[in-house]
Amino acid sequence: MAAAAVLTLAGCGGGSDAGGGGGEAPLTLPGVDDYLNAPCPEVGTKPATDKEFTYWSMWTEDEPQGKVLSKAIRCFQDKTGVKVNVQWLGRKLLTQNVAPSLNTDTVPDLFDQDISQVRAAVVAAGGTQSVEDVLDYKVGEGDKTVRDVVPASFYDMPQAKQDDGALFSVPYEILGNAWWYNKDLFPDLKPPQTMDDLFALFDKAKADGMAAIAQDGDINFYNAYFFTQIAARYVGPGGLSEAAQDKTGQAWKTEPGFAKAAALVERMGDGGYFIDGWDASKFPQVQQRWADGEAAFLFVGSWGPSETREYLNKQGGDKGISYGSFQFPTPSDAPHKIVEQLPIGFSVTKKAAHPEAAKAFIAYVLNKDILSGIPAVADNLTPRPDLAVPDSLKDVKAALEDDSAERAIFMDGLDGLAAGKWVDNVFYPLNNDLLKGNISAQQFIDGLAAKQAEFWKAAG
Amino acid sequence: MAASPQTSRPAPVTSPEADVTSAAGAHLVRKKRLFWPFLLPAIGLYVLFMVVPTVATVVLGFTSWQGAGDTPEFNGVGNFTELFASDAFLYSFLNTLLYIFVAGVGTFLLAFLFTMVLREMRGGKLVRAILFFPNIVAPVALGMFFSIIMIYRPNRQGLVNYLLESIGVDAVKFLAPENVTWVVIGCLIWASAGFYITILMAAVDRIPPYLYEDADIAGATPWQKFRNVTLPLTWDVIGVAGVLWTIGAIKIFELVFVLAGPGTYSPPIESWTLGLYVFDRSFGTAGSPEYGMACAAAVMMIALVSVLVVALRRLMRRETIQF
Repeated sequence: MAAAAVLTLAGCGGGSDAGGGGGEAPLTLPGVDDYLNAPCPEVGTKPATDKEFTYWSMWTEDEPQGKVLSKAIRCFQDKTGVKVNVQWLGRKLLTQNVAPSLNTDTVPDLFDQDISQVRAAVVAAGGTQSVEDVLDYKVGEGDKTVRDVVPASFYDMPQAKQDDGALFSVPYEILGNAWWYNKDLFPDLKPPQTMDDLFALFDKAKADGMAAIAQDGDINFYNAYFFTQIAARYVGPGGLSEAAQDKTGQAWKTEPGFAKAAALVERMGDGGYFIDGWDASKFPQVQQRWADGEAAFLFVGSWGPSETREYLNKQGGDKGISYGSFQFPTPSDAPHKIVEQLPIGFSVTKKAAHPEAAKAFIAYVLNKDILSGIPAVADNLTPRPDLAVPDSLKDVKAALEDDSAERAIFMDGLDGLAAGKWVDNVFYPLNNDLLKGNISAQQFIDGLAAKQAEFWKAAG
Repeated sequence: MAASPQTSRPAPVTSPEADVTSAAGAHLVRKKRLFWPFLLPAIGLYVLFMVVPTVATVVLGFTSWQGAGDTPEFNGVGNFTELFASDAFLYSFLNTLLYIFVAGVGTFLLAFLFTMVLREMRGGKLVRAILFFPNIVAPVALGMFFSIIMIYRPNRQGLVNYLLESIGVDAVKFLAPENVTWVVIGCLIWASAGFYITILMAAVDRIPPYLYEDADIAGATPWQKFRNVTLPLTWDVIGVAGVLWTIGAIKIFELVFVLAGPGTYSPPIESWTLGLYVFDRSFGTAGSPEYGMACAAAVMMIALVSVLVVALRRLMRRETIQF
């Protein structure tokens, strides 16, 4: 039971393994100790006056990202003499700690989370300040600035900006998502180019006596990925979010792309591709079944390998998975090639007492020798293209750095709309029904339009 | 001692009776003097921690408020119109009623059944103690436990489905959203029956055994004994137990949260209860907390519990039977 609770808590939104172990096929990740014992790099831009700052962290101290940031804090204190008052609060810090503090004078100077959550919980309440200036801070590698080492595609997007257009988040970890498979089971697999290719892969898996898709159906937003991924290819980045804010709900009907996307999801639901029991499961049971080889494909974020590797590790086996992944193909009649990402970054509060030190720390974390801990220790991706990544994440990294694709953020940010009430009341119930084959694509679109009109009317 | 002075004194000024009343009077005066000093701390604490928060909840239910530091803004009945237009709230309300009534009927039927059996059973006290055990366990742990044994996973089933399959019955998707409410009801009955059995048995133990002996001689069946002896003589206790159940059931939260959802995120709205709704608006939003809405929903809980308790008391009102 305890193990189940821990696994559940690992959740997503940057979930990761327990550190120590983990790694490629042989279940070990080299370089953890090397990283933690390596000497501290120099600080590029030092704070001139601040002698301390407060950081509220989305991680816990003993998880891999916590270890990486602990080292960053230790090094920053050593090199600058600035004291970092850190509180390891965990994933729910925005709604449980940061947002409630905004009306008081006890705010943290620095905090972190993915941009969708920061935007919904803190930016919407006007609680952040611009971190645009951090882009010109030096990272401690000669004259290189943040702007020089982080490509604009990871931060220059409307969802990372305040209403006044200023940046509120500087990313240090990037989540991507993908269809995952085990290369040992599918050595000759070629990433599908069309939706028909994708369905052919599913059909082949079924013919081989395997379930096609493993899906933890009790997590609503995992279920939402299919429709939002495909629909974004029809309507482009921001299109879903715009439709969701239409007070009449008619936008779902007037844009034919949504119906087409829904039809493809209906095809997934009706095809019997999902593993038996996916709709009566408890996360992370179904992704574990995928790891055990009961299903061919798993669609989750870039945390997939680290979570399943942790599971296999605990099972005591000696064989890991040779992780391969590919992106959703672009439907032949869809105009947008999309890659979804979700940056996790640092933000500085509007009322921060020590913004200068907090901003200097942000730049310092982006130093190559500090940031390399994110892939090396935490098995996750960073916004720096020059850092090596584990084999399991190479396909996702390539997808994220593909210049021919347009960037969208996970679910087009729908999960933060109306503080999450929109997805809970309008989208998730209908989407779950569509995926389970309880309703048709047309009923789904009609339902969205009707429920959404009701929803915005009630919201006033 | 009021009696000793009279014997020593030849001419008592007061009669013994008068002396006794004056002593009692003095006692009464002292008692009166101590009345407020003893009562005030309790009243003070009760007002501070019960009355004031309740009144504040009702007042805040008519405002939009994000929590400490934010100034509550009066918005009339806006919260309540939003509540009643929201699917999440309607599901919460209906599910709560379902838990109160269906699980309540189930729990009390089970409890009555046991009171019929346990009274005459050897080792009844031990069985009673064992039946009480689920009450000691935190509902969160119970929820985790049930979600593990009710797992549907072909080839590696949870305990319940394993047993079902081993007797040739098809495994059931217990945790599917359309089934989970019934699973929770089952768990609730299992977990709370012991508590009500304990209360009812305490009442049954007070019934003089000769009434049952008399019934035995008359050839009464267990059902007749229950109907004509146990039920009438424990009626007022059943009424109180019913009120306790209603108050407890209206707050159901943890079991649903961990059984119906992944445990980290709120479960689908179809399975929500009022308790979950209040939690979600306070701590589960993706944005700023909506304490005003949470208070409005809490007011609905207070209203619901008041109506149900008053109705139940009226329904259960009988003349107490002396025995």
